[in-house]
Amino acid sequence: MKKWLIASAMTAALVGTSAIAAPSGTFKQAHEYGYGDKSSLDPASRGRVMQITEKLMSRLIRPDMKGSPSPDLATSWSANDAATEWTVKLRAGVKFHDGSAFDSGDVIYTFNRVLNPENKSPARSAIKMIEKMEAVDSSTVKFSLSTPFADMPLQLMDYRLRIIPEGSGDSIASSGIGTGPFKLVSFDAAGVTKLEANMDYWEGAPGVAKMEIIGIGDGQARMQALLGGQIDFENTVTNQQKPMFASSNKFKMMEVPTGNWRGLVFRTDVAPFTDVRVRQAVRMAADREDLVKLIMGGAASIACDTPVKPDDQYRADINCPQDIAGAKKLLAEAGFPNGIDIDVYVATLEPTWPILAEAYQQQAAKAGIRVTIKQVPSDGYWKDTWMQKSVSATRWNERPADSALHEIYLSTAKWNESYYKDADFDAMLAKARRELNFEKRKALYVGAQEHLYKTTGTLIPYHVSKLYVMNSRVSGIDAVENHTIRWNKVAVK
Amino acid sequence: MLLMLIRRVLLGLVTVCIVSLIIFAGVEILPGDACTQFLGEYQADDELLAQCRKDLDLNRPAIDRFAEWAGGAMAGDLGLAVDGKTKISSIVGDRLQNSLLLALCAMGIGVPLALMLGVITGLCRDRMPDLIASTLAIFAMTIPEFVSATLLILIFSIWLGWLPGIVLTSASAPAAEFFPEILLPVIVLSLVMCAHIMRMVRSSVIEVMAGDYIQMATLKGVPYWPMVFRHALPNALLPAINVVALTIAWLLGGVVVIEVVFNYPGLGRLMIDSISDRDLPVVQSIALIVASVYVCVNLAADLLTMLANPKLRTMYTRK
Repeated sequence: MKKWLIASAMTAALVGTSAIAAPSGTFKQAHEYGYGDKSSLDPASRGRVMQITEKLMSRLIRPDMKGSPSPDLATSWSANDAATEWTVKLRAGVKFHDGSAFDSGDVIYTFNRVLNPENKSPARSAIKMIEKMEAVDSSTVKFSLSTPFADMPLQLMDYRLRIIPEGSGDSIASSGIGTGPFKLVSFDAAGVTKLEANMDYWEGAPGVAKMEIIGIGDGQARMQALLGGQIDFENTVTNQQKPMFASSNKFKMMEVPTGNWRGLVFRTDVAPFTDVRVRQAVRMAADREDLVKLIMGGAASIACDTPVKPDDQYRADINCPQDIAGAKKLLAEAGFPNGIDIDVYVATLEPTWPILAEAYQQQAAKAGIRVTIKQVPSDGYWKDTWMQKSVSATRWNERPADSALHEIYLSTAKWNESYYKDADFDAMLAKARRELNFEKRKALYVGAQEHLYKTTGTLIPYHVSKLYVMNSRVSGIDAVENHTIRWNKVAVK
Repeated sequence: MLLMLIRRVLLGLVTVCIVSLIIFAGVEILPGDACTQFLGEYQADDELLAQCRKDLDLNRPAIDRFAEWAGGAMAGDLGLAVDGKTKISSIVGDRLQNSLLLALCAMGIGVPLALMLGVITGLCRDRMPDLIASTLAIFAMTIPEFVSATLLILIFSIWLGWLPGIVLTSASAPAAEFFPEILLPVIVLSLVMCAHIMRMVRSSVIEVMAGDYIQMATLKGVPYWPMVFRHALPNALLPAINVVALTIAWLLGGVVVIEVVFNYPGLGRLMIDSISDRDLPVVQSIALIVASVYVCVNLAADLLTMLANPKLRTMYTRK
């Protein structure tokens, strides 16, 4: 009897809270309309509007608040000893927005679509090691890989790998059907895209009843909309714009560390950077602490030429103070006692590049590195300047440690921007992928980053932090990357 | 008269053609194309870039592409956007309507206000009402639109919270849904427009009021107000027709800055978006529409002036 009482009291309490928590209000957010008329709801396409797909569709595995894999549509996963076969258990009872049930067929369909080279999905590189997929039963999928891959769950967290219903490939770009906390009411990339709460979301009904995701291309217009209360949340606020919001209690602000970085690439296959001592010297000459203050107003965290994000579990702990005397000495040893002259190519494509180049010019001058800044047009920069000139500015968005190290530095990598070729480094990465023991794997990734710090041609002075500004009526937004925010927990007053 | 009309129409056609060519050449000369714009950093992938250019049929010579578009446009078909799927007429249609709505609202407020103020300041030359209105007009004319727009947003939507700062309505929404968001852009446009027309009207009123026939009428004892309305204004307002026409044309094509600042889904913003997408056919089509509007409105204004002014009429007939 007592037990029954407690149980019924709990049920009452549960019913009570769910009644209070019925979705209410409208949350409004802008997107940059960056893909113009090619904007799409297909999460794996190049024109995907992330601000919309992240609310409509779910992944198998999503990052938790610390960036580690946590269950989403998958409830558990495990690998064989060789790390070549991964078995993923799927959540039961999940329904797509059109009412159809989610099962292993949808997962295989979604992944095949991304893997098909004809579809040219940019997400393909994240999972191209998948060789075969098999539906063990309706709620189990087995992935067979072409190479051992101990961190497969990290790859499945890619923000573009969102599950769509089987056979929906031709319509998904406009239908936007998924299993996420919100469903599509109407899609208009240049105008207002309307979403409504998905009452059947597997984590329970979301906090807000409606969302409006609005295409506003002009950055200034987005700021005005935020200031005037027409949108509730914005994550493209720059450091210079911070004071507009800081003084008002109408707004809340959050600084979110990211793995995005900007830096300078010295091509390791072009003299004088073929000499590892010169590569060390040009990086030693940088005062990273100063760069963070000067360029980012402090909203960044120092990196020692590692692309791995600051709070990643595999991040190496390296110290890299400016060392002018050391840089001079290395240059002299390499046969340049009078210093070197270099041309650094930048464009305003990334507004902080010219500032970075100028600050570096001042710092490096002390070590006898005479920098000439060449500013080129933004149009065609990635084709005609980047990976073409011996020294150019670069930028990368965050990705898991393994992807970052592979995509930017592996000898055979397509986007190996510094033409870095190092057999030892390649071997360390291959070994890490095979290692199922976390501590040992971590040691290998850390070792690879330390090796990189000694030999790389890429100066990565810092990882930038993002500034989130929201109307104070909004609550529940986590201080994490956009795609990790649990949008179902967001509420508005 | 008819001969003149035909000549003007032909001249207008030539103007439109030349404008189209210049715009096409201008956008073509810009570095990058629709593919490099869309692919962003992935443009460094030669394979992807080549595939994209093949898909969008960008490998043909520029002259070829222009000829095809121009041929279609002459037959009244604006053709397809660079993606090869979307009909330009369907994108441009909504936007043109929205720009018209903005222009009509701005004119509805601006033109009557300007005429009224122009007459008042002209009649009260160098007295208090004239000084105040003329000074304000100079301010309205010299402050760039984007500054006055930003100022108005700051005051009315951020400080006071009375009006929405930017337009969030979809391009295809019916006109009624643009209220009240459209108010701020309308006010900014009316301000600028009003100042121009007012100054024009003012000086023309002053000139006419100093004319011999007005002095004669005064000496003959015609009361002041009937004289102003019957004898002075019809002549004083004639030059204003041309200014009003030019302003209308400017409103339809030249309000790019206003549309971008307020995120207003009109032709101007579409033009900017299309240029940054390097969507040449759409840019072309907008340029064509705007140029045609300029030519037509100017022609209409000249005809109106001529009908109202016997002197000009006879000048052509005698030839």
